[in-house]
Amino acid sequence: MSAVLEWTEVILHYTTLLCLIGLAVSLVLLIYRIVVGPSNPDRAASLDVIGVCVMATAAISSILLVTTKLNDVILLIGILSFIGTLALAKYIEMGVIIERDAD
Amino acid sequence: MTFQIVLNMIIALIWMFLSESYTLITFLFGYIIGILLLTLLHRFLPGKFYIKPVYKIIVLCLIFIRELILSNLEIVKFVYRKKNNFEPGIFALPIEVKKDWEITLLANLITLTPGTLTVAVSEDNTKLFIHAMHIDDIEDSINDIKNTFEKAIMEVTK
Amino acid sequence: MLISIIMNLIIILLLLFGTFFIFSSALGIIRFPGVFTRLHAATKAPTLGIISILLAAFLFLYGSHELVSGKLLLAILFIFLSSPVGGHMLSRAAHKSGVKPYLRHREDEYEEYLSSKQEQLNK
Repeated sequence: MSAVLEWTEVILHYTTLLCLIGLAVSLVLLIYRIVVGPSNPDRAASLDVIGVCVMATAAISSILLVTTKLNDVILLIGILSFIGTLALAKYIEMGVIIERDAD
Repeated sequence: MTFQIVLNMIIALIWMFLSESYTLITFLFGYIIGILLLTLLHRFLPGKFYIKPVYKIIVLCLIFIRELILSNLEIVKFVYRKKNNFEPGIFALPIEVKKDWEITLLANLITLTPGTLTVAVSEDNTKLFIHAMHIDDIEDSINDIKNTFEKAIMEVTK
Repeated sequence: MLISIIMNLIIILLLLFGTFFIFSSALGIIRFPGVFTRLHAATKAPTLGIISILLAAFLFLYGSHELVSGKLLLAILFIFLSSPVGGHMLSRAAHKSGVKPYLRHREDEYEEYLSSKQEQLNK
């Protein structure tokens, strides 16, 4: 029984490494879209997905390092990437982010 | 309604005192016992039974999760197909819900439906503009939106 | 013993599932033509991927530290609510900034609506 448990732990370790590699490959693909992207909304969309990728990397690192200290980091990256997406969308839409004379 | 929630809390507290363990698990167990007691006895209390709206909200959340999983599978199918023949288009959908947060919820649900994405809301809040992957077979998704989501949202607010 | 074996297996499955979805979203952003179809890939697929990865981290922390992490649950809820809003804002911005779509839109009722508004303003 304990041999099976050790087996699953070894498989879990290698799975986390595999997932980190997959996320790295998808980050490279997204950066390709940011550099090439024909228009600005494309770049903003792939930046949004990059935020999600970084959150996933932090979560997998917390599994790999067996620590609880990264929870705040995950929540903060999520909030900051959402705010960044909103700011980029408003900038693309009308050129200003904070309207002083909003109706 | 508020009276019933307070009563439920009191039942949970009394359950905590009776079982002499002051943890969250005991409180939740007592709360479930309170819900069971109230389902039996809510006829004798003033006001409407408060579990019914909560049940409707839970049904709405389940619809949300089901649509999320379905649309993800659809997108993955599109990604790994060799040749895609998209015929994208934007169509207008008249809506019946009025309040701001209801429209937000409906727009979020539509974004999570397979093959549709909300683009904008018209200025007088009567139409949603929706981008669809295949503009030809949108009849099903329109029926879905009209019959499932809008009805579920209206039932929560009623 | 048996419970922790089953928990490890569930964590492995959730991690693979989530990484698969995030990777296919990135691939979709590369492969799809046009801004709006790319936004379809960018808003839907990462949501389920990040939710399953965060659930895996939650289960792992519960198994190793006996900790019910509320922050991870809050992050899941936040992603669930914020991702469609971001997609909506980006698509409206893309439409208003006048990006030429790679594929011609067969119908565009929003364009007609905007031009009719503009005519009313001009009158």
